[in-house]
This record gives sequence, C-alpha cells and structure tokens, in this order.
Amino acid sequence: MSKPANGSPALLCPRCRSASAEVLCNSPVAGTWTMYSCKTCLYAWRSTEPEENTNPEKYPEAFRLKPEDLAQFPIVPTIPALRSG
Amino acid sequence: MRAFKDLREFLQLLDAEKQLLRITEAVSLEPDLAAAGRAINQAGGETSPAIHFNNVNGYQKAEVVMNVHGSWPNLALMLGMQRDASLSQQFFEFVRRYEQFPGKMDHRASAPWQEVVIEKQVNLFELLPLFRLNQGDGGFYIDKACIVSRDPDDWNNEDVQNVGMYRLQVKGRNRLGIQPVPVHDIAIHLDHAEARGEDLPVAIAIANEPIIAVCAAMEILYDQSEYKMAAVLQGSPYPVVKSTKGLDVPWGSQYLLEGRILARQREVEGPFGEFPGQYSGCRNYPVIEIDRVSHCKDPLYEALYLGMPWTELDYMCAINTSAPLHVQLKNEFPEVVAVNAIYTLGFIVIVSTNSRYGGFPKAVGLRVMSTQHGLGYAKIVIIVDGDVDPFDIKQVMWAVSTKVNPAGDVIIVPNLSIDVLDPASEPEGISHKMIIDATTPVPPDRRGSFGEQLGNPARTDVWRSKLSAMLKDLRK
Repeated sequence: MSKPANGSPALLCPRCRSASAEVLCNSPVAGTWTMYSCKTCLYAWRSTEPEENTNPEKYPEAFRLKPEDLAQFPIVPTIPALRSG
Repeated sequence: MRAFKDLREFLQLLDAEKQLLRITEAVSLEPDLAAAGRAINQAGGETSPAIHFNNVNGYQKAEVVMNVHGSWPNLALMLGMQRDASLSQQFFEFVRRYEQFPGKMDHRASAPWQEVVIEKQVNLFELLPLFRLNQGDGGFYIDKACIVSRDPDDWNNEDVQNVGMYRLQVKGRNRLGIQPVPVHDIAIHLDHAEARGEDLPVAIAIANEPIIAVCAAMEILYDQSEYKMAAVLQGSPYPVVKSTKGLDVPWGSQYLLEGRILARQREVEGPFGEFPGQYSGCRNYPVIEIDRVSHCKDPLYEALYLGMPWTELDYMCAINTSAPLHVQLKNEFPEVVAVNAIYTLGFIVIVSTNSRYGGFPKAVGLRVMSTQHGLGYAKIVIIVDGDVDPFDIKQVMWAVSTKVNPAGDVIIVPNLSIDVLDPASEPEGISHKMIIDATTPVPPDRRGSFGEQLGNPARTDVWRSKLSAMLKDLRK
C-alpha cells in the first residue's frame, strides 16, 4: 500500500511517486478492495494487488516514471491542423 | 456454416465439445485471472479450451470468460467445422467464404443488451470485472472489445464504418485511453474529426458472438465493412442495432459503452504487455469519455490474456491475417497457392506460389509489402514454391535451406512503415523489410544447379493409408 506523505491525506503513486494519488472507487461488494489512481501519471492500482504494484518502495525500477517524462512521450497519432473556415 | 446469436450460445457448443473449463472456486482479480488466462494456453497447447469464472472477489455476480478464440479447435467450431479441422483446411474454408464478400447487414430495432442502461455516474470498475494482465501494465485494460466509428466526412457511408479492436486503458470511472496507431482505420476517422475540431463518437461492444471479433482484428480494406465480412463468414446477414449516436453495433453483445474520443487531446497511456512479447512503453494517446453504458441483465465479461506468444491473440489473428492477404495477392497473381501470416500478427509472411517466369516470386514478395497488411507488418517475406505447404514449417525451412543463395535471393527494402509496436523498428514505426526468395529459379533466371527433385516411391500413398490405420489401432 502507498502511504500518506507527511501525514497529508494525499497518497504516493507507486510508479511516479507524486503525492497526487486518490481513491478511484471501492469494490461493489463493500470492503473487498479499493481502487486508486494517480492524477499525474494516470497509473491505477488495486489495494489487493501484490506489493510490486502498490508499494512505492517495491515498485519495479523498470516501470518507474518521473513526472517530467510524461511530456517527452511520443504523441500518437499526430494532431492534424484545424481546417480553415 | 453456423451463426451464433451471442457469446453464451457459442460457449454452450464449446461446453458440449469439451472445449470449455468452468472454474467455480472464488478467484482474485489479481493475480488469479491473468495467471489462469496465461496458464490455460500453456496447459492446453494448440487445443486449449476457453475458461470461464463465475466467482470473482469483490463482485456479487461477475462472470468472466477468456481464451474463447485461443486454439485451433475453438476456431474450427466457430466456423462450424469439425473440431479437428487442420489449420490448412480452416484457411482454405475461410478464404472460400471471404471470397463471397460482401454479405448483408440485418438491421434490427432492439437488442438484448438494452435491458439495463446507465446514463449517470458511470463507473466502469463497478460494471466490468477489470483486472491487470501483466505486472508492468500502467493500468487495467479492456483488450477484446469491438470499437465502432464512422468517418465524420462521410457519415452515412456504412462501408467505411469501422469495427476495430484497439486496446483501451481504463483510467477513470468513465475515462479510457485508446491506441489508434496510424495504420488503423479508426485513425483516419479520428484525423478527420480532429481536423474539424470535433469529438469522434465511438461505441464499444464487449463480449460478442465470436465471428465479429475475428473481423474486427482483421486487415480488410478501408471501405470493406466488417459486418458484411462477418455475414459471409457466418453464412447469414449480420444482426446490428443503432447506437444512440447512429453507429451500427452488434446485436449479440453483452455490454455496449457509448462515448467520444475527445478532439485534439492526448495523455499518457501504457505501458501494456503487447503482442511482440514485450511491454509497449508509454505514449501520449487519445482519450475517450464514456457517457452511457448498456448491458444484458447478468452480463458476461470477456477478456484476452496477452503476453509472450503464443497467446489467444496469436490464434485469433492467424487465419484472419493470412486469408485477406492471400485473396488480395491472388487477385493480381493467380499463381499464388497459399499464404501463412500466422506468426506475431504477420511480421513474417510466407507465400507459396508458382513462378510465371524468372524473377516473378520476388515481384510477389514486393507486392506483399504494399498490401494493406504489408504497410504495418510483413517485415520478413519468405516466398516458396507452389508445392511447398507454407503452414508446414519443416517444408519452409527445407526450401530456405536449399533454394536460397543470399547473393541474389535476399532483397532488403529500406525504411518502410511498420507498426510502432515492432521493438526493432528505428525510428519507431520505420523498418527495413526483407524478402527471402526460396523458390527454384525458372528461366530466364538460370542461377544454381538445381537437379531433379525427389518424389515419393510408387505406392507410397497406398502404404501411408494402410500404415496410418494400423498406427491408429496400435495406439487405441
């Protein structure tokens, strides 16, 4: 599980470590699991997943992102020019 | 030929043919569903069954089915053939039906999936038992849906209406990322909508009868309707219903999601474990907002485990990749005998053809690269003689081993287009492509010292039948 940063209610994203994660929703059968998502890198995870997916300390190095990486990713497909008139 | 009204009817047939495993114990969304989806294909090999779950943690009544298209027997049963029909038999039957194109659409007024409608506070995580497929995936994916769109510049043309299968990352309660790479038809529709500054309406049909998924994942021409293709493959008009935005959507779906690709927006998507057997990395892809969800009462959800080949995707995209390429080539070169494009969605294509004259097989290879399929795949094209079965890899390797002189039989064409997911492309989406001509040279190409080719001794056919029967008895 990601932990609150410095006692704030925000959650740390396991992938990009931004303190901008939030609860997305809960399981239809109450109390089974909670879904979280990161507002910065859009990573999502479920409370019942293995720690490699939920804990910022154990999230695999190969899949980590930095918030500043996001704008560098290719834009696909390219956005066409607006037609005039 | 046989048409299935919905996925449940097809599962009944799979059940009767012992091609369906039902798991009734409680399973976790992670890691159980992906693990079982992976394992069913490893345990069952080329004859693996579909696998169905009805007790998923966190849901009152969720049902999930996977590996529906994940073996040769399942595909044969989908086509209404005997379960033991060989790959080659399925290929030629598929081609025969494909050549009947176009069939008809059966426009209906209502559909079973209209039973339950959600228009406010859509929460896809509540409605669909979404689960992570591979650990490094950036999120939870819908990866086996049929996505319908029309060209905003040609809205009433039902032939350019597209039904495609593109990965969808569920990022929020009603927010999806979509991967419409430029070689896909929906990218043309999106380009036109974005040039107009408009959102592109889309409808996403989940858990369909089996034939439309095969058409959605098939490279057919831009102005060929997937529904009219499904009609000829199933031997009867394909039933559709209008979505609220006027898109034709399958009648037999379990769920229908309606929404819009937001004009001129891109945001981070991925990574996702993809068909080449590695993660795709992240890109800034378009975004969909879902406004309305409809579904059957007690709906069935369908997913596809995607990972290191071979998975369900490799089976589902085998014959439907080979057949269109075969028909397109044969229209121009009647000498073409068969096409095998079953490996990694057709990054490799093997064509067997007779030679009209020296140099002809290389022309066939070059034409493969400029087909619709070739624009995004066909990185390596192997041409073999017409008496070599391209589906028998031992025969193909014999031809490559003995017919190829790299001095004159390997052609490399630089910097052609390829699917951005090809990890070897450089830059992404650009790759050299190669033709290996493994045919016997014919005049005026007189290279090599090819003598008389060996045949079978007389009466081999008689002995083969006799010995096959004896072996069957021996192994009873």
